[in-house]
Amino acid sequence: MRRRAPIATLLTLFAVTAFACTALADDVRLETRSGASSRMPLRVTSLTPAGDREAGTTSVQADEVLAADLQHSASFDVARAWLAAPQTATPVAEVGGKWTLRGSTIRLSGEVREYPGKQVILAKEYSGPASKWRDVVHRFADDVVLQFTGEPGIAASRIAFIVQDGRNKELWVMDSDGWDPRPLTADRSVAQSPSWSPDGSLLLFTSYRGGGGPQIWVLSPETRKPFLMSGRQGLNTGGMYAPDGSGIVCTLGMDGNAEVYRLDARGGAPQRLTSHRGIDTSPCWAPTGREIAFTSDRSGVPQVHVMDADGGNVRRLTYDVSYTDSPAWSPRGDRIAFVVRTDAGFDIWTCRSDGSNTTRVVAGGSNENPRWSPDGRHLIFSSDRDGTRSLWVTDLDGAAPRKLDIGGRKAMSPAWSPRMGATSAR
Amino acid sequence: MHPTLLRTTVLVTAVLAMFAVGCAKKGAVPATPPPAGNTTTTPTTPNSGNTGGTTTNPTTPGGTQGTATVADLKTIFFALDSYSIDGSAQADLDANAKLLRANTNLRVTIEGHCDERGTVEYNLALGQKRADAVRDYLLNAGVTAGQIATLTKGKEFPAVDGHDEAAWAKNRRAEFK
Repeated sequence: MRRRAPIATLLTLFAVTAFACTALADDVRLETRSGASSRMPLRVTSLTPAGDREAGTTSVQADEVLAADLQHSASFDVARAWLAAPQTATPVAEVGGKWTLRGSTIRLSGEVREYPGKQVILAKEYSGPASKWRDVVHRFADDVVLQFTGEPGIAASRIAFIVQDGRNKELWVMDSDGWDPRPLTADRSVAQSPSWSPDGSLLLFTSYRGGGGPQIWVLSPETRKPFLMSGRQGLNTGGMYAPDGSGIVCTLGMDGNAEVYRLDARGGAPQRLTSHRGIDTSPCWAPTGREIAFTSDRSGVPQVHVMDADGGNVRRLTYDVSYTDSPAWSPRGDRIAFVVRTDAGFDIWTCRSDGSNTTRVVAGGSNENPRWSPDGRHLIFSSDRDGTRSLWVTDLDGAAPRKLDIGGRKAMSPAWSPRMGATSAR
Repeated sequence: MHPTLLRTTVLVTAVLAMFAVGCAKKGAVPATPPPAGNTTTTPTTPNSGNTGGTTTNPTTPGGTQGTATVADLKTIFFALDSYSIDGSAQADLDANAKLLRANTNLRVTIEGHCDERGTVEYNLALGQKRADAVRDYLLNAGVTAGQIATLTKGKEFPAVDGHDEAAWAKNRRAEFK
């Protein structure tokens, strides 16, 4: 008995632990309020290379991409098994798998095992062209996040943004981890304010490329050919597709003053939503499509307001702070991010969609154009906090924002895409 | 011709000219762009208002053929967040109005600019407000509408690079082009 008791205890413990981990994976959800995050310790092990001899080269890079994706999801605190650093907390699970390169095809057999029992709780195959191996890793990382939080990660998404070179500002796009930044326009003009269509296939942007004043254009990142969406008299700025793609909100000056309008998805049939002699601009849909946040200086200085989608029921968002602009509604619907003017430029704040619980989330330097990630857990913004204006991401957990390295370029006006291929994958 | 009648004729000509340009450009719009949204909706030819964003300057027959150029017109400056025309700006605009009245062959585009302290979007609207305020002042001072077009440049084209009040004050402006 004396010798069997510990074994029985161990077996019982094992069973309980295994059950607990399975239960965690199946049932327990992290709190998923916009931006809220509590990180679970996770151990990432090296992928095992197989197939062609070159598999060993990319597998080492894939290890790092996978670990970075999981860390940047803000769901995990990642320990890399290939580093000597001591494990600080007992991981909830171990992530790894096999990395098979055959000719021009890469196959990732991804595995998640609970820890320390190592029972497999997720096993899934991913494959793609070897040239797009990073996308294969991103898809696995997003499924690992799904396993533990009930919602896929955002590694397989893109970021559109503006690069300034001298007086020119061109539209660019890159992967969500800052990889492969590439220009979409070569207009030698000024582009601003990109915004994605709900399926991620099109980008609206404001540009002077037409030769006169600002106009709203649309392009596909695949074909890169811009089409004019609104080039009416005076202002045409800041277009954003409705969540169901059925229309566009934007600022037009066609009636002699800056007002918010709704257009159809082709840029026609303007329907005026605001009517005030001050400036009404920067419209942004709620994810339900039932409300629109916008900026108005009707009370003196610019302030974020909210109205119903038909232009009725206008109310100021918050009275807690003054001079607010650039509203961005979380895809979860529960929070709105905006900028607040300071002596140095702008800080970034969030509040609940009813205007309560105003919280400063980014300060230091001048921080502009906050835009939510598709899971509503991160904000991307532009900042000159380290000298040159560039793109930064905050996980809204109080930690310092991280900079996206885009080769030292002067970058601004980011827009986070929806999840790419989410429709076909689920 | 009675002055009021003349002004009405000019206005009608301007409206007709803008209408003509709008119609002419409709046919020149490119073919169908790729599908929009996650629905079957497709943005095809944007179907209205492609007038290029600036007011078209129609020909005004019988104007005064002066020798002044746009370079003789003074740049107008504004206070922070403001599009109102203050005292010194009024004096400069009175001089500009006098010169434009004496040179009705001179056509100008008023470009509204902002300092860097507003957001991109707000400053695009504010720049238009500044250009429009200057235009309205000149129209009230007897300048004919056909001589003036307006345009916003937001904070995209600062006159002076710099991040202090001296630079900002020079960038909050309406330029004549």
